[in-house]
Amino acid sequence: MNRLSSRVILRSFILLYLVAFFAYLFLPLLYMSAAAFNQSRFPATVPWQGFTLEWFDALLNDSMLWSSLGNSLLVGAGVVALSVPIGLNAALLLHLLQKRVRTLAYGVMVSPILMPGVILGISTLVFWRGFDVGGGWHLAVLAQTTFIASYCMMMFQARLQRLDPTWEEAALDLGASHFQVMRRIMLPFLAPTAIGAAVIAFLQSFENYNTTLFVYGSDRTLTIYLAGKVRVGLTPAVNALSVIFILLTVAAAVLFEWRRRAEARPAARPVPAKASLGRAAPVPAE
Amino acid sequence: MSIGESVHLENVTMRFGDFTAVDDVSLEIEAGEFFSFLGPSGCGKTTILRMISGFNEPSAGRVLIGGRDMRGSGPNRRPTALIFQNLALFPLMPVWENVAFGLEMRGMARSARRRRAEELLDLVALGNAGDKRVADLSGGQRQRVAIARALAVEPKVMLLDEPLSALDLKLRQHMRAELRAIQKRTGVTFIYITHDQGEALTMSDRIAVMSRGRLEQVARPDAVYNEPATPFAASFVGEANIFQGRVVGLSAEEVEIETDLGRMRARNGGDLRQGDRAMLFVRPERSSIALGGDGGRIEAELVEMEFEGSFINLRLRAPNRQPIMVQMANDGGLGEMARMASVPVSFAARAAIALPEGELAHQ
Repeated sequence: MNRLSSRVILRSFILLYLVAFFAYLFLPLLYMSAAAFNQSRFPATVPWQGFTLEWFDALLNDSMLWSSLGNSLLVGAGVVALSVPIGLNAALLLHLLQKRVRTLAYGVMVSPILMPGVILGISTLVFWRGFDVGGGWHLAVLAQTTFIASYCMMMFQARLQRLDPTWEEAALDLGASHFQVMRRIMLPFLAPTAIGAAVIAFLQSFENYNTTLFVYGSDRTLTIYLAGKVRVGLTPAVNALSVIFILLTVAAAVLFEWRRRAEARPAARPVPAKASLGRAAPVPAE
Repeated sequence: MSIGESVHLENVTMRFGDFTAVDDVSLEIEAGEFFSFLGPSGCGKTTILRMISGFNEPSAGRVLIGGRDMRGSGPNRRPTALIFQNLALFPLMPVWENVAFGLEMRGMARSARRRRAEELLDLVALGNAGDKRVADLSGGQRQRVAIARALAVEPKVMLLDEPLSALDLKLRQHMRAELRAIQKRTGVTFIYITHDQGEALTMSDRIAVMSRGRLEQVARPDAVYNEPATPFAASFVGEANIFQGRVVGLSAEEVEIETDLGRMRARNGGDLRQGDRAMLFVRPERSSIALGGDGGRIEAELVEMEFEGSFINLRLRAPNRQPIMVQMANDGGLGEMARMASVPVSFAARAAIALPEGELAHQ
C-alpha cells in the first residue's frame, strides 16, 4: 500500500515535470505562432484583435525578405560545400597524428568555436581587405566556415574514434592500396556522419548573425535582414515566417524519423550518430 | 588452389623503443606446414606474425617468403593473408562482398567476384549466407567468413592470430578440426598464433614455444611435450612435477640429482655435468602410486582426489610441503588409498627429464 502510493507520487511528479518541460519548450512557439494570425500591427497575441491571414500576404510581398532568404540559402550551401570536406580532412589528419601532436592540433582546430563570432567576422574582413576583397556572400561563407568546419571536424572525429583500426589493416592485407582503403572502407563508414555534418553546418550557417554581420557586404542574409527590421519596427509578418519555418522543421524531422525506422526495420543496425547540436530555424525575438 | 610457400626468419629482431619484443629469432617454416607459435601473452608471437604479414618491418634480420626477401614490401604486396583476432570483417558490406574484397581490389569483374565468393562460401559451408549482413551471423559463421575472405586472395601463407579465442569451448574444438582440414585441402602454409597449448598440440605439424621474445623450443607437438628443451617449455606445455637440485652422478644417458626429497634419476635432457644446478620434470601421468620406479620415490600425503571418469587426478604434498600431482587410470580400486596416511609416489628414470636450471612459466 505504502509502496504503491509512493509510486503514484513519483509518477505524478514525472508527469508534472514533463508537462512543465514541454510547456517551457513549446508555449513561446505557440504564442508567437498565434501572433501571426492576429490583426494587431505589432507581433503580439494579446490583445487579440481578430483572425487574419494578411501577414502571410505581407510576407509574400516582402521582396527584400525573399532575397535575403535566397542569400542565406546560398551562404548555407557554400558553407556546407567547404566545411564538410575541410572537417573531414582535419579529422583524418588528427586520426593519423601521434598522440601528443594530436592534442595540440586538436586544440588549434577547435579554438575557432571558442572564439567570439564577432572576432571571426572582423578578422575575416580585415584579412581579405588586404587582398582588396570586400564584404559579400562569398566572404560570409569564408567567415562562417572558419568555425563551422570545426564542428564538422568534431563530428567526423567522434565517428573515427569508433573506427576499428583492424578494418584498415585487413583491407591492406587483402591487397588494397591506401586509396582503395579510403574509398571502400573509410568513406562508407563516414558517410552517415557527412550527412549529419552537412545538416549541422547548414543550420549553423542559416542562424548565424554575429559573424555574418561584419562580412555580408550588400548580400543581406535572413538574420541580418530581420535584425535590421527590429530597428524600423517589426510586423507580425515575421511571425508568419516563423510559422512556416516551424512547420518545415517538424515536417523534416518526421520524414527523417520515418525513413530511419523504415531502414532500421530488417534488423538491428548501427544507427548513425544523431546530431544534437544546432537549433531549429531561427525564431526572432518578439 | 594455391600451394603454400616457405617462410624463413633470419636473425629477426624487433625493438619498440627500449623494449625488445622479438630477440634474434631464426626459424625455417616449410611450405605447406601447419606451424604454431605458442607462448604467454607478451612473448612476441603476435609481433612475429605482424613482421611476416608486413605490418611491421624488423629492426634487424630478414623475413623471406618463398625464398624472396620481403623487406620493403607492405602487407598489400605480400603473398600472405592474416586472420585477425577480432576477425576484422567489414560490417558495412554483405558477406559475399567481404569474401570478394581482395578480388575487388585486384580489379576482378563483379559477376566473376560474386561467383568466386559463392564457391569459397561453399567451401566453408556457408553456401547461402552471401547476401546476409555480417552482424546477422553467429560467431562460428563469422569465423568461416574470415577464412573464406583470406582464402579468396589465394595466399601462399595464411597467418592466424588467435582466431578461436572468442569462441566457446565446443565451437573452438570443432573449428580446430575444420581449420586443420582446410589447411590440408588447400596446401597453404598456416602460421598459427596461440597461447592455448591444446590448440597448438592438436593442430600443428610443428610448434615454436616462445618466451620473452625468444624461441625456447621448435619441435613436433609430441616432442615438445615429451622432450622439452627448456624449463620454460616443460612448465608451459602440460603439467609437470618439478624437483630442483644438483647433479651428483652421470651415466651414459642419465643423471642423478640430489634434491630436498632425496636422490632422483632422470634422462639428461640438457647436457648436464657433474655439479650443475638442475631441474627434474616428470609429468603427472608418468608418475604413479607405487613402490617401484628407478627415477625417484617420495612418501607423500594425499590432499585431494579429483575424479574425472576415465582417470583420476591426485593432489599430494611431499614432506617438504611441495605439491605433487599424479594422474592415474581409473582401475576401480581407489577406495583404500583415501584411507592411507602416506602414499608412495614414484616414477621411472626414463619418464623424467633433467634440464639445466632456468626460468619457469607462470601458470
